[in-house]
Amino acid sequence: SPSGDDALGLDAEINVQKRVRAPTKKLDETLLLSPAGIPKLRSRAKHLKLKGKGHEWGDANRLLVFYQNWLDDLYPKAQFLDALGMVEKLGHKKLVAGQRGEWILEGKRKERDED
Amino acid sequence: MEASDLNNDIVHPEVRAHINSLVSALGGVSQEDDGRYQLGDDALEVLRDIKRWIRFYDEKTNRMDVARCVYEANLIEGDLLPILSLWPENATDSKYKARIALSCFEVMVPLTWPIQRDREAMTINHHRHMPVLELAHVAYKRAILNFDGARVLSCAVRVALPAMQKPISERTQRDQGIIKLALFFLRNVAAIAPPPGVAYEGDESQISRSATIDAFSFQDIFHLLLMLASNMGEDFRTEDTTVMEVLYHLVKRINVKELFMTEKQAEHAQGNELRQVMRKEINMLRSQNQTRGGRNNRFGSMIWVKRDDGKMTTLTGQDAVSSAATRQRKMDEAKTFKPPRRGKKEDKHDREIGPAVTLDSRATTQLRTFVEDFLDSGFNPLFSHVRKTIDREANYLMAYHKRQFFYLVAWLLEAERMRRKAKQGSDVRDAEEVTSFNLVAGVLNQEMFITLNRALHNSFEAKEWHDLTAVMRCYTQIFMTVQEMQQCGREDDEEIAENILSRLFYEEATHDAITNIIRGYKDQGFDYLDAATELVHHFLRILESYSKQNVDMQVRSRKRTRRKKKAAQAAEGVAASDDEGDGSGNDEAAAEKTSKDRKFDFIRFASRFTPQPIVNTFVTYTKYYRDLNEDQLKRAHRFFYRIAFKQEMAVMLFRVDIIHLLYNMIKGPEALDASLPSFKEWEDLVRHIIRKCTKKLEQRPELVVEMLFSKLPSTAFFLEHGYEKQTIRTT
Repeated sequence: SPSGDDALGLDAEINVQKRVRAPTKKLDETLLLSPAGIPKLRSRAKHLKLKGKGHEWGDANRLLVFYQNWLDDLYPKAQFLDALGMVEKLGHKKLVAGQRGEWILEGKRKERDED
Repeated sequence: MEASDLNNDIVHPEVRAHINSLVSALGGVSQEDDGRYQLGDDALEVLRDIKRWIRFYDEKTNRMDVARCVYEANLIEGDLLPILSLWPENATDSKYKARIALSCFEVMVPLTWPIQRDREAMTINHHRHMPVLELAHVAYKRAILNFDGARVLSCAVRVALPAMQKPISERTQRDQGIIKLALFFLRNVAAIAPPPGVAYEGDESQISRSATIDAFSFQDIFHLLLMLASNMGEDFRTEDTTVMEVLYHLVKRINVKELFMTEKQAEHAQGNELRQVMRKEINMLRSQNQTRGGRNNRFGSMIWVKRDDGKMTTLTGQDAVSSAATRQRKMDEAKTFKPPRRGKKEDKHDREIGPAVTLDSRATTQLRTFVEDFLDSGFNPLFSHVRKTIDREANYLMAYHKRQFFYLVAWLLEAERMRRKAKQGSDVRDAEEVTSFNLVAGVLNQEMFITLNRALHNSFEAKEWHDLTAVMRCYTQIFMTVQEMQQCGREDDEEIAENILSRLFYEEATHDAITNIIRGYKDQGFDYLDAATELVHHFLRILESYSKQNVDMQVRSRKRTRRKKKAAQAAEGVAASDDEGDGSGNDEAAAEKTSKDRKFDFIRFASRFTPQPIVNTFVTYTKYYRDLNEDQLKRAHRFFYRIAFKQEMAVMLFRVDIIHLLYNMIKGPEALDASLPSFKEWEDLVRHIIRKCTKKLEQRPELVVEMLFSKLPSTAFFLEHGYEKQTIRTT
């Protein structure tokens, strides 16, 4: 019977279209400047407590852990040093460089206001 | 040979048949005459035919088939060397035998010629035959060096001797060719080394550098080289580069320091090295033990790491319990992603220069004697001549000769310095007419500096990094020699040294070139990096000490020149009256002014080494800290010290990856060995840098972001000082 032919599913069209891959998350300027990026680093930095003279080794460790945790949240895929290298490269991009300049200006302004 | 083999043979069967018949026609071991070699009837013609085969089949059509067949027919070891042993050392008058010997070398030289791996010219045949032929070369070398029947190397010299005896004006084209042939033979033998990455199956000691030096010494080749070098420019002209090549292949990668150690010192050094290596291993094991769990690997501990913002991470394994730092590292190391990187290209040069060598004690003594004799007699004539050859770009000059020239000059200058040091130790200071600096004066003149500078610029622009490395090493050694000259206490030498230094000090083009080199470092390999950092280190130091030279010294040198002038005038019979006006009172004021100017110049010069790219180069260099020796560690230490405390640009070091590196050098799991003499210095330096960094972070919170990035000079200046750099001068 005609319906019996199709029981095997021979006539049914097979969908050969490839499943679209989820785009990989990239560490780029937009991610770096997004709220999860450097703004978060800046806000977290307020809670970073360094002890100063006499505690150099502890301080260095705290500082490194601070950056490592931030990078782990931002871009969990890459190892610490690799991620640092990637971020450093982004620092030369126009968008990031401009933003860096503004942050420094902000710091200057704050200092002037305090005086 | 069976039929199936015949089809699979990679060489044309007719070629093989021809070569085989030629080789068997050459002669053979006789049955009657207790195994002596018997020449064939037409041996001379046969040798000529083989030569023709090599020239017209292999060389003209760019194949290597004949070379392969000759190797498989065992021509060199089985025939040519026994033929040479038929030519006893006292039989110089037999013309026939001399001609046979010459023909032997005419065949052997192309067969031992260094194989060039030139990608463009390589055909499928090259890829087929090269691996076999490289091993064949090693076998040839073994046979030549260890042949019992005759001193093969000195045979080559004997072949060329009649031609060498003639004065240069009477030598024919053919005579010149024979001399070259003998020298090329020596060069080939010296240059052959087992191909890298292939384990040599035979006895390593039969082909090692020690064996080569031993054979060269035993067969009086060193005497020949000395004779040629010291007569260069007179009786010999176009042989200069070949002599240099032989030297290069003999001394390349030999540690000069080890060469000039006494036996006791050498033993001591070896013991030290062993101790150091063992200590390193113990340290390594200890640091591994600290993190290793005390139980079996299926014990299955699992812990949570809680972070500030309430995030949790799970970690497994006993070691995670041991310390916070280990946990942090474990979390990081679990990540498998790697940013894309480019693969490494194969380096042709590595093949030429080979791995580092160590000599046995006999070869050390032999080579040291030769090097000392060479410095005494051959250095100036040979290297002045080669420099001229390079300058006029003679048609027989190959591209690699320049590199070898600079490498050798550097190597020999270092050898001379080591020798001087060793002499001073044994306390035989002699007031000879010829000082040890005169022996190397041939490379301390103005022409040499011109050649050096040109090579520096050209190789930098052409991106010939290995050439540049050699030039840099040469420059460094010249600096060090000049510096020693300046402190030697002999007036004439001191004056020459000061002249050289003052010229260096004001030559901006050289300063620019050196800064550009160190600034532009990127993937050129460790050797290049080492040479570049060494050059910068010594360059800065020598100019600094020059700029600090006190007034006293200046006045002295002025007085010295005045005295000389007077003496000269007195000799000419002129009254030395008009000179009185420039009295010694003026001297001091003038001297003070120059030394002040110099100080200012030096500060300006040193500030060129603060930009981030240069700091990055030194950071890359420091990353090798586990493998650097004391001198190299010191070099990096001084640079960072200069940046952070003399130049006041510590901001350049405030980057997370740099802090990470410095911190881990002292406190990390793979820290520097704490028993190293320089460890304390490093610890202090890093502590100071970290302290400065935390202080700065408090002062300027915006540094938190800038710690991630390279800084532009203007940003760095602001972070350091808190105000903008004034570019327009206010009156």
